[in-house]
Amino acid sequence: MTHPFVIAVPAKGRLQENAEAFFARAGLDLVKPRGARDYRGSIADLPDVVVAYLSAAEIVDLLAQGAVHFGLTGEDLVREHIADAQRHVVFIDELGFGHANVVVAVPQAWIDVRTMADLDDVATAFRLKHDRKMRVATKYVNLTRNFFARHAIADYRIVESSGATEGAPAAGTAELIVDITTTGATLAANHLKAIDDGVILRSQANLVAARSAGWGTAERDTARNVLDRMAAQKRARAFREVRTRFAGCDAALLAEAKQRFAVETPFGGPTSSGMLTLHCPPQHVPALARLLREKGAEHVSAVELDYVFSRANALYARLEAGLGPAS
Amino acid sequence: MSVAASLLNESLIASFERAGYLRVAPAILHPAGPFLDLSGEDIRRRMYLTTDARGHELCLRPDLTIPVSREYLASSLAGQPQGFCYLGLVFRHSRAETDGASEFWQAGIESFGRPDTAVADAEMIALALDAAAHFGLTEPTIRMGDVALFSALIEALKLAPAWKRRLIKDFNHKSSLAQDLDRLSISAAQAPPEYQGVLTALAGSDPKAAHALVTDLLSIAGTTAVGGRSVSEIADRFLEQATLGAQTSLPKEISALIEKFLALGGSPEKAARQLRDFARDANVALDAALDLFESRAGLLGARGIDLDRIRFSTAFGRGVDYYTGVVFELHDPDERVKGQLVAGGRYDGLLTRLGSASPIPAVGFAVWVERLARLRSAA
Repeated sequence: MTHPFVIAVPAKGRLQENAEAFFARAGLDLVKPRGARDYRGSIADLPDVVVAYLSAAEIVDLLAQGAVHFGLTGEDLVREHIADAQRHVVFIDELGFGHANVVVAVPQAWIDVRTMADLDDVATAFRLKHDRKMRVATKYVNLTRNFFARHAIADYRIVESSGATEGAPAAGTAELIVDITTTGATLAANHLKAIDDGVILRSQANLVAARSAGWGTAERDTARNVLDRMAAQKRARAFREVRTRFAGCDAALLAEAKQRFAVETPFGGPTSSGMLTLHCPPQHVPALARLLREKGAEHVSAVELDYVFSRANALYARLEAGLGPAS
Repeated sequence: MSVAASLLNESLIASFERAGYLRVAPAILHPAGPFLDLSGEDIRRRMYLTTDARGHELCLRPDLTIPVSREYLASSLAGQPQGFCYLGLVFRHSRAETDGASEFWQAGIESFGRPDTAVADAEMIALALDAAAHFGLTEPTIRMGDVALFSALIEALKLAPAWKRRLIKDFNHKSSLAQDLDRLSISAAQAPPEYQGVLTALAGSDPKAAHALVTDLLSIAGTTAVGGRSVSEIADRFLEQATLGAQTSLPKEISALIEKFLALGGSPEKAARQLRDFARDANVALDAALDLFESRAGLLGARGIDLDRIRFSTAFGRGVDYYTGVVFELHDPDERVKGQLVAGGRYDGLLTRLGSASPIPAVGFAVWVERLARLRSAA
């Protein structure tokens, strides 16, 4: 094998821990053969795969260049650093961690500013009064520019900021900011407030594929293996397996269960002996169990699932749809 | 650039110098700030940006108007009437309208400090036509607009200040404001704050007291002037918004009036007649702007320019918010070459925004010499 299949994973911080947990849940054990400080690893039982531990910024760069196949990174960084992102990468799945919003925030003292329309007006008034444009501190230059253009805001200047952006208004280096926030606590601590309709992006960690990486049959095969486990794990987490057996189980009951609890019947209706296996979203399990007993079931068991492998793999389908046919 | 093209460009500049314009060659590398401040953040994606050792943002000049203006302001001539001409490269990330090139040549003129507005405007348009003719294009399409007319209309309308600001800004940034007029609104999606009634009543009966109250409340809350706006500025707009009340969307009759205005156009003589009628019917005072418009047209006619060839439109703008008066573009009538060949206008506010203590009138134009040369070889 000459070209390994490279998956880029964040090298430090909470994102790395979450990423490793995510892979582990999918049965993909990340191993660092030369110890914890090594920046290259592999996945037990997938010898074709190389795991590269990189900084978030490097991951995005390498995705843009096609130097890695998969990358695990925040959507905010991809959208900011890759112009016209859909042309260069395929967003395969949102991973359910690393949640953060990119928001427009202004000083709390600006009691007259609640919406982007207010901000538009204030920006123009500011320019007319002070003969200079309002400054927006941010590291999200492109996201900011596109969002402000959508709101027809013209009277502003971007001041690039690489750290402690939220301190810029107090320090006098900007009037407002565009920054990432999870709880809003940092904004509040700096006497800032988010604008009502000023959420530029609701970001979370994404599994992203680089379109311009090598995508021959071997690479696609590896990708399918990796995604198969992720999809099986994802589906398993979305359901509990509910089993029961009773005579009164019929099509009408199944229809009711499907309609009320979004239940699925992966193995069809009840067997000739009345055995029934259902997949039910976790939050509906107690109510479903109650319904089944009301209809005559003596016992209902519910268990967590490790994997649900299905013929259709939505994640791989998304990758293939994004990449187009193999060359 | 070929020898032939060089000779042609140099003889164009020589003609500008003979007309009394001082040739300058500003630096290629400039602070990025003025361009972003004056041309808008949208130009950032098209500029070649770099950083110096101290972290200052620099760029390869994307045009020459701002560099020439800065040189003039830094010189001992600042404030006095003085015209400049230039021929130089400008740099922009390529896209269709720059013909796929990342650097291209521009010639041009900038005229500063002349109090005789109409005469200077007419001279600029005449020189622009001469520049096109220099490359063999004797009858270009002349598109013309006048930002001052729109500003005068908005000034004359009975509208909340917030609306006036917004309409002027959008006129400068939208290719067709008319289409946007319907859906323009200020915070229309938001319910008014619950204290609006009190504030409206207070501001209506005693504006001074209302202002003092809001200012006091902000100070009690320990609010300081964070973010470059003073407490008084915030209080002003807060009350302005509160009293705006029902006017969160543009009144229908005003929007209809603006649409009617933006539909006017034609030759300058026809447009002037239409505008006089419009001003009388709508009972808005556009006299000063219209007088200037008419005397400029008269001067153009006196210079032997056939006014019927000018396509004036009240809606025509150049998408750059530093223009304050006449704006114009010359195009190939047969559209063999796309985009403007010569373009310019009056920008009386620019030098103040570049730091001049007193306002200095300014008007100028730029020549896309490579487009004109291509047209010449296509002919």
